[in-house]
Parts: sequence; C-alpha cells; structure tokens
Amino acid sequence: MTIKTTLFNKKIKQLILLIIVVCIGVLNTMAQTQNTIQFIHKVGVDTLQLQQEYTNSFDEKFSINRFKYYVSNIQINNQNVNEFVNKYYLIDEADSSTKTISFSTHFNEITSISFVLGVDSIKNVSGVQTGVLDPINGMFWTWNSGYIMAKLEGVSTSAKVAGNLFSHHVGGYKWNENTVRKITLSIPKINQQKQQNLAINVDVLKWFQSAHSIQISSHPICHSTGNLAMQIADNYATMFSISTP
Amino acid sequence: MRLITTILFLFIVVVSCIAWVNHAKPPKTTPLNFIIPKGWPQPVYDFKNNPLTKEGFELGRKLFYDYRLSKDSSISCGSCHQQFAAFATYDHNVSHGYNNSQTTRNAPALFNLAWTKNFMADGGINHLDLQPIAPITAPNEMAESLEGIIKKIQRDTAYKRMFTKAFGSSLINTQRIMKALSQFMLMLVSSNSKYDKVMRGEASFILPEQLGYDIFKKKCISCHTEPMFTDYSYRNIGMPVDPYLNDYGRMAITNNKEDSLKFRVPSLRNIAYSAPYGHDGRFFSLTNVFEHYRSKAIDGPTTDSLFKHKMPLSNFEIGQLTAFLYTLTDTTFLKDKRFAEPGTENTISTFIHIH
Repeated sequence: MTIKTTLFNKKIKQLILLIIVVCIGVLNTMAQTQNTIQFIHKVGVDTLQLQQEYTNSFDEKFSINRFKYYVSNIQINNQNVNEFVNKYYLIDEADSSTKTISFSTHFNEITSISFVLGVDSIKNVSGVQTGVLDPINGMFWTWNSGYIMAKLEGVSTSAKVAGNLFSHHVGGYKWNENTVRKITLSIPKINQQKQQNLAINVDVLKWFQSAHSIQISSHPICHSTGNLAMQIADNYATMFSISTP
Repeated sequence: MRLITTILFLFIVVVSCIAWVNHAKPPKTTPLNFIIPKGWPQPVYDFKNNPLTKEGFELGRKLFYDYRLSKDSSISCGSCHQQFAAFATYDHNVSHGYNNSQTTRNAPALFNLAWTKNFMADGGINHLDLQPIAPITAPNEMAESLEGIIKKIQRDTAYKRMFTKAFGSSLINTQRIMKALSQFMLMLVSSNSKYDKVMRGEASFILPEQLGYDIFKKKCISCHTEPMFTDYSYRNIGMPVDPYLNDYGRMAITNNKEDSLKFRVPSLRNIAYSAPYGHDGRFFSLTNVFEHYRSKAIDGPTTDSLFKHKMPLSNFEIGQLTAFLYTLTDTTFLKDKRFAEPGTENTISTFIHIH
C-alpha cells in the first residue's frame, strides 16, 4: 500500500512537472518584448496642428488638412542581428491611434531601425488586399493600380488652383517611377535603455525642401506617378529622425 | 491512478478547446472546375489565392448584376456589360454613367479574363481583383464608394447568407466583394465558336471562311494572335486623337511619350456581337474598321510600323475576312444560362445585328 501510494505520488509529480514544462515552453515562445514607435508630426520645431498656418522655406504660407502615409517592412537591428516585422501601418495625422504603432521582437536592445515609407511592389501587384491596405482607405489609385504611399493636402495662397487647395498624392512602384523609400535611423546610445518605446520626429517641412525644392506655387498638385512624385519621395525620405528627450 | 487520468484528460480537453477556438472552421464549399481549353496557354490568374467555388461564383454573379453597386442604384456591372453583346455595351460607342454622365471609352467585351494580365484599354489596372473598383468609384460611371456598397449590401440578409457560404463568415469587405466578382468573371470563358470547332476538328470552314482565315493569317495575326486573338500589346493603329476626349491611352499610365495614342489590341472573339469598335467606339461597324485600315490611318510619330503606309485591303479581302470573323461568334457563351442575370435565365436572347 505504502509503496503503491509513493509510486502514485511520484507519477503525479512527474505529470505536473511535464505540464509545467510544456506551459513554460509555450509561454517562452510568446515571451517577446512589446515595442512601440510613436510618430510625432512636426513643422520645423513646432508640433503639427491641422488647419494651423505655417510657413515653408520658400516663405509660402500653408496649412495642412490631411497627412497620411504607409509604414511597412520594419526591421529592428541589435548590433548585427536583425528581426523583421511583417506588418503594414497607415499613419494618419487625424487619427492619433495610428500614430503609435506596436509590434513584438525578441530584442531587449535596439541599435538601429529601418522601415519603408510606402508599400512594396509585391503588394502593389498582388490584387485586392484587406486591413490598412484595403483600397477603401483612399490610399489607392484605381485607374492606374497602385498605392498612394503618402499624401499631404492643405490650403496655401501660393496654390493657384481651386480653393487654394494643394494636394500631393505620391505613388508609383515600378522601377522607373519608384516612390518606395527605405529609411534607416540609428538609435543614439543614451536611448538604448528605453528602446522599447521609440519616438520618431517627422518634419513636414522636409516634404517641400530637402534634396529637391518643391514649391507649392509651382507644384500645387501631384496626382500621378512620375518625376514630381519621385522628387517628393526623395524629400519625404528625410523627414524622419529619432526624437531625443 | 484515476487522478492522473483525470488531470491528463482535463489538460487534453483544455488544449483541444483552445486549438479549436483558435482555428476557424473552413467553409464547406463546392469547388468549381476551371477548364483550360485544349491548346490554350496556362491562365495568368493565380487561382490559389482565390479558389473557384460554386458559392463564390454565385455570389459574384449576384454582385455583377446588383444595381446597388452604383450611387443611385441605377447601374449594375451588367448594365454596360451585357451578355448578348459578349458583355460589352450593345450599340453604344461609350456607356451611360451616373446622372447623365458618359464614360470616355467603349465598354470592353468580357471573356477569357483568366488569361488577361492587365485591364483597361491603357492597361492601367494590374489585377482582375482590382478592376471593378475603377468603374464602381468613377464619378462618370457608377459613382459609388466602397463604403457605400458595403453598407448597402450588409443590410441584405441574402448577402449575409451568401458571404457565409462562400467565405465562412458574414464579414463583407472590399476583398471578399472583389474576389467574388472575379470568380464570376473568371468563369466567362468563350472557347466554343465555329473557329474553335474547326480547330478541334469538329467542323470545317466553308470557302469564304477559309479564304478569310488565310488572309487573316497573312495580314492580321501578328497582333490578333491565336487562340486569344490578341497579343495583349499596346499599339497606335493610326486613329487621330478625339478632340473632345483627348485620350492618349497608354501614355497616361507609363508617362512615356512613345506610348502616346497606344491602346490595347482587343480580342476579336465574338466581334459580330460587340460593335461598335475602337477604344472610344468610333467605328460603327466592321466596314468602318476596314475602311480605317485601308484609307484613313494617320502616320504619326507613334503609329505602328504595320500601318505606316495604311494597310492595303481589297473589297474581296474585306468580304472574306468578314466571313472568317463571324466564325469567332460563340453562341454557347452568349446564351450560357450560368452567366445570365439571376432570374432571367429563361428569357435570355441574342440580338441579331449584322451591319
């Protein structure tokens, strides 16, 4: 009887141990770090407020009604090791819930981050998508298939068009009209303790003036693929910088 | 011992429950067989991402003929893509859109779309699943928004049932609507004309048809390649630009001057039923098309080399070519009840309009 009970207890212990091991194993694969990136939209040093008037480097007064762009193919680097986040995000100034994105990695330390502004060519040629890539989001050209990678719309007296409404819709994924831009930012050393919650500044002024000069007066409208779209893309690739406290 | 068994049993039950909850049941659907006609190339459409099912096809058919897809519920896809006209618009150079508007191009006939890589006369749309979004949202066509159609059809319990049957849940979104429409359109295969029967050895051409086929092989086949009767290229056949439409075709898509006034080579299948012709429907009848080729084509900077000096065609040749082109009519397709507007299967008719 005693021997039998001991054996019985031993078996229970083994079984419980087994269950614990299995559970730990399952939990371990889920034990990832939750990372967030907050996109802080700015006009120069000021925080962007929709419909507020600003001045660009060409002395053109403007205000913004709409500012949206896709972020995808995020790659998190820790020294020479990297991890890929296979998700698409649509950042919209008018919807603050979209301006902080979250995803999980296995890293406790991040040395640099890269991401694509826009939607890669594969998703541009793979038919109808869903979620943030659903054409219902208004970031898709229906007559010349392809995503609008980023759009900036607003009012400027320099825009000599109806309602002074300037409108830049930037898209194009084919080799000779590509507006997909990869952005790489290294994380300054002081920040590596708080790398789980990155803050990235996005300076709208760069949209108009960086590698190219895009004056609202000469280019109030961009609604198709081509040189102007690619020049704006070169500019918007430089909008991003790591925010240091 | 019993305790061990109980613990183990409960553990297994919990694990299987979690697995069951996490794994949505796939819908029970009836697969539809897509048959590639003998001697035809492989389709370019990727069926793996949208497997054809009877349920998906029927849903697509209902959507194709649903007037609620337009802003004021006056136009369905089927309004401008009429089966008796090989799914082109019968007798219209351009089609009618929302609120007395007009489209800017001739509605193309719809068939053999599984072999078509790019859509529209300028090839601007790169996937069949994306194609319907253009006419649905264009202000001079159906003028509706994707939100609008989703809202309207969500109110219809018949749709809820059909989406559940086809996709496993009653969720209605852009992707599901488009995939269902694609399923209907993919099944529009036209491969049973007299020409096809002759090629399969089931029929033979009468003399004018045979003479026409011989002329066709000499003068037309480099662009209107068998068996699709198009090589899917974009060409300028010397049509001057219409001053009201100012449509430069392919150039708007590629931003390349060399593509000015180039339009996609249309298939010639069912041509007897798909008049008028040309990207803007300017040719009332086949006679006008032949007349253009032999006497009116303009030699511009991007005119195709084949038409630099127009294309000599005698009256005799035109007559025989016409006889051959009429063998491309597929009445099985034009009267196929599976493709008719639901409820009209028994009243389906083909118009006779030989110009």
